[in-house]
Amino acid sequence: MSNILSIQNITKFYGHIRALHEVSFDVPPGSVFGVLGPNGSGKTTLLGIIMDVLRATSGTYSWFGEPPSERQRQKIGTLLETPNFYHYLSGERNLHISAAIKGRGKDDIGRVLEVVKLTERKDSRFSTYSLGMKQRLAIASCLLGNPSVLVFDEPTNGLDPVGIAYTRELIRDLAKEGKTIVLASHLLDEVEKVCTHVAILQKGQLLMAGDVNVVLTNEDFVELGAQDLERLRTTLTGLRGVRQLKDLNGYLQLVFEKDALMELGEINKYCFDQGVVLNHLQLRKKSLESKFMELTK
Amino acid sequence: MLSALKIEWLKVKNYRTFWILLGITLISIPGINYMFYDIMDNSFPKGRNGQNPLLGSPFAFPDVWNTVTWNASLLFIIPALLIITVTTNEFTFKTHRQNVIDGWSRQLFISVKLIEILMLSILCTLVIILTALGFGLIGNKLGPGVTIGQGSRMAFFYFVEILSYSMIAFFISILIRRSGLSIGVFFIYMLAEQIVVGLFRNKYHMKWENYLPEEVTDMLLPVPYAKAVFQRNAAEWNQHIPIYLAVAALYLIIYCVFTSRRFVKTDL
Repeated sequence: MSNILSIQNITKFYGHIRALHEVSFDVPPGSVFGVLGPNGSGKTTLLGIIMDVLRATSGTYSWFGEPPSERQRQKIGTLLETPNFYHYLSGERNLHISAAIKGRGKDDIGRVLEVVKLTERKDSRFSTYSLGMKQRLAIASCLLGNPSVLVFDEPTNGLDPVGIAYTRELIRDLAKEGKTIVLASHLLDEVEKVCTHVAILQKGQLLMAGDVNVVLTNEDFVELGAQDLERLRTTLTGLRGVRQLKDLNGYLQLVFEKDALMELGEINKYCFDQGVVLNHLQLRKKSLESKFMELTK
Repeated sequence: MLSALKIEWLKVKNYRTFWILLGITLISIPGINYMFYDIMDNSFPKGRNGQNPLLGSPFAFPDVWNTVTWNASLLFIIPALLIITVTTNEFTFKTHRQNVIDGWSRQLFISVKLIEILMLSILCTLVIILTALGFGLIGNKLGPGVTIGQGSRMAFFYFVEILSYSMIAFFISILIRRSGLSIGVFFIYMLAEQIVVGLFRNKYHMKWENYLPEEVTDMLLPVPYAKAVFQRNAAEWNQHIPIYLAVAALYLIIYCVFTSRRFVKTDL
């Protein structure tokens, strides 16, 4: 099956300011694709372009292997930046409008209101909603018609901790259903917990894109502990392929050169043969946050 | 397009401000005419035939068409306010973006608004026709050789004029996007054009100002009172009508093209 979304060399200028520079990546079907970057890195601009509310200065994109069109957008649930609704209408009436534009019936409105727990307030005006409720209504609008592709831009903005956890769970559930999700966020923890793929942007430049496991490959490190840490340090110095060895919270953190990572059993045996008994041995993945900080510093 | 119009209906169906402004727009048409009728009836001396010699019978056929349309044209700011409010709401709430995100094309968004403006202009013209018939038929007998339809082309001219004013309001709204500022610019433009027209017509006796965007449609509806003074060049005016209509149509095309291009080509 072809990619759900394919972005090729998208560049965007706001006057003299370059917001995006030749950004290209593909979103495979069934993936949860995180678009990461600090504030002002071009995440929302990129999503705005692929949803046709912003014009790219150059470059192209395609949805479902075809040139972009309004019919494709009807099949995608999108929350871009802030929830955009008619303030003088109730939540439910606003969803009537969204459903009608998407070419869906009214039948699904009750379900999506229930999913985001807004059924009780469906008749209240949108202007009376709290920030979190507005965000939940926007998520409800995205879910109308049970679309197979969802685009979320900072979906947990304005939500309380319960709301954040709930939204994260919802995204996980949607991913389990096989839906393709494009998720822009600067909350790395959020992305790390749900994404299968990532693209990292900084100042409009794409730094890296691909499968989370590939992006973070060779970034694994081993955490070791022993009664005598100094002896352990001396022992590990003699191990082949070691790039870095440093103290971390009462343990030693061992980083290998690229493609030189040893099996934990091998390390354990090596230490034991050198007369060091380990009381802690764990393989750890470099967190997305540290990878991100490293790339964007 | 029909489904898009139904969606526009969902947007305004429960919008109180829309109904208040629409109500004022429609009521103001017979309202301002009744006000003028009352002033004519009670404030000016009448001759033996029951008419004021200078003013004539502006509310009798065939002059009633000119009178009713000209009076109503003094209040074009009200439908313009309605259009500016409904249009700039979309920008204020950013729903213009959401409509496109949800699956409307940009051209559809602008086209459905243009159709709304057309429908509002038609509705106001229907009220004009009813108002003219009402004032013409109540208390006025048809003179010899005069028919009800005589002079009714003024209703069409009114339609052209309200459509033009509404399109200017829409154009400004799309360009500026902010409600208060759009209303301000619309007012200032109306005033500025009238000042330019007054200056060049009275001081330099020039004619080009007749073809400015608002003035060209104003020219279609001459002042109905004291015709001996204001319509002394009626024959010349009559000859110019096709030109005024052609220029007004050209402006309408320009408004349509510019608003569409602006919305379709730029960032939302």
